Amino acid sequence: MATQLNAPQQLVEDYRHGFHDSEAGYNFKSDKGLNREIVERISEMKNEPPWMREFRLKALETFRSKPMPDWGDTERLNEINFDDIRYFVKASEGTERSWDDVPDDIKRTFDRLGIPEAERKFLSGVSAQYESEVVYHSVREDLARDGVIFCDMDTALRDHPEIVEKYLATVIPVADNKFAALNSAVWSGGSFVYVPPGVEVKSPLQAYFRINTENMGQFERTLIIADKGSKVHYIEGCTAPQFSTASLHSAVVELIAMEGATIRYTTIQNWYRNIFNLVTKRAVAHKNATVEWVDGNIGSRLTMKYPAIYLMGEGARGEILSMAFAGEGQHQDAGAKMIHAAPNTTSVVTNKSVSAHGGKTTYRGLVEIFPGAVGAKTRVKCDALIMDEKSSSDTKPTMKINEQRSTVEHEASVSKIGEEQLFYAMSRGLSEADATAMIVNGFFDFFVKELPMEYAVELNRLVKLEMEGAVG
Amino acid sequence: MLLCNVGGSVYGIEDICTHDGGPLDQGDLTGTRIMCPRHGAYFDVTTGAALTPPAVMPVGTFQVTVEGDDIFVA
Repeated sequence: MATQLNAPQQLVEDYRHGFHDSEAGYNFKSDKGLNREIVERISEMKNEPPWMREFRLKALETFRSKPMPDWGDTERLNEINFDDIRYFVKASEGTERSWDDVPDDIKRTFDRLGIPEAERKFLSGVSAQYESEVVYHSVREDLARDGVIFCDMDTALRDHPEIVEKYLATVIPVADNKFAALNSAVWSGGSFVYVPPGVEVKSPLQAYFRINTENMGQFERTLIIADKGSKVHYIEGCTAPQFSTASLHSAVVELIAMEGATIRYTTIQNWYRNIFNLVTKRAVAHKNATVEWVDGNIGSRLTMKYPAIYLMGEGARGEILSMAFAGEGQHQDAGAKMIHAAPNTTSVVTNKSVSAHGGKTTYRGLVEIFPGAVGAKTRVKCDALIMDEKSSSDTKPTMKINEQRSTVEHEASVSKIGEEQLFYAMSRGLSEADATAMIVNGFFDFFVKELPMEYAVELNRLVKLEMEGAVG
Repeated sequence: MLLCNVGGSVYGIEDICTHDGGPLDQGDLTGTRIMCPRHGAYFDVTTGAALTPPAVMPVGTFQVTVEGDDIFVA
């Protein structure tokens, strides 16, 4: 039994992307800590319009005036030392157009992640974020012909300022929470997607994110707008190298699905165990629009992430599928928020989490149905798997139902990995590690099957490889 | 309640944010938009409409008339 308990832990400990490149050659690295000068410098280096400079400075004031959250894992949250973080690191001069122009050490990092291959195979565009700025970006020509804009946020601000100014911070206001305010003050990079009315983007758009500087905060800002009747699938994967001191990752992601539009946002985050991952993700779905979050969380010291969907128009639909894995010293505090603000809106939340070797998972969710949202339907299902006696799991669902003519279902389960299950699998010739991997993979199957093939293979392989490595 | 002077026109709305009860009178007024200082939701002071999340429901409005130096709220 003891050997098997090590297996999932190994998934995090021996994380195979745990390498990092030399930091020599950086163009700019801000001092640690945050002040008005650093914010002004970021804006100046990016040649931003005055309104964005003001936006950042105002956000800095808001960040300072807001207290730390007094809920959740406050003990860990208060470990964050905001004065010991670098808020901006620029890794390369500008954004490169072709893969050949990308600096070698950066290219090596991405080669190990397999981006060019992925692009060749089936992706319609690759936007790779290294440190705080996107260094490589390409969009297939036919997408551009259809008027689809897919670029990093810095480029969007330069080339499409009117769209950015119109929609930025309209879903997640600067003052929404302390970390959204921090992101608004120092954001750098992130993706911008605009899909014109009626356009269907058939292949997924993809971006990779990486952190590679000790104590560097990464504050990307993503804005996706699907205009009337359009359709888009955006995928983002994150991995981070090993470091001994804490890093902060605090992103803001805003999605806007106009009437009849569909957005699917898939993300897999695999942070090293010392990273604080405090992310605000929110979508607005207008009439008959659909938004789907597919959200995978592995690693990090503390993750606090609750993707939300505001169902604002009649017939809007929201779906959140999420998985979380917490190993030793980790707390995955994740969940989902569904806000039904219009009639006949429907939503589904499915969450599965695994905790092992003293890890802790928390499902923290909210479903709110406002008066007048007649015919609203929601179904929430959360399952937790606890691998050993040191690990734990909490489920904290909140339901505020203010419309009688609505349907609400909630289902939750907590289970241990069964010795009988293991024994049965092993009696059929599987090793202990294979049996454990199979059970864990099976538990996450609902999630994996929603991923594009490449990601599904990667996630299954990650679980399996690490478990094989854990035994003997 | 809260009175807002927008370019000489006075509008009256409820002072409590519909999201989390924040005091709107403490928020910034930009044009006809007022921001709740607690979580940043915006409301239109002329109609009471919630303009951005996290607020969803409108705030109530009051009919206001100005006669000389006096403001009357119905």
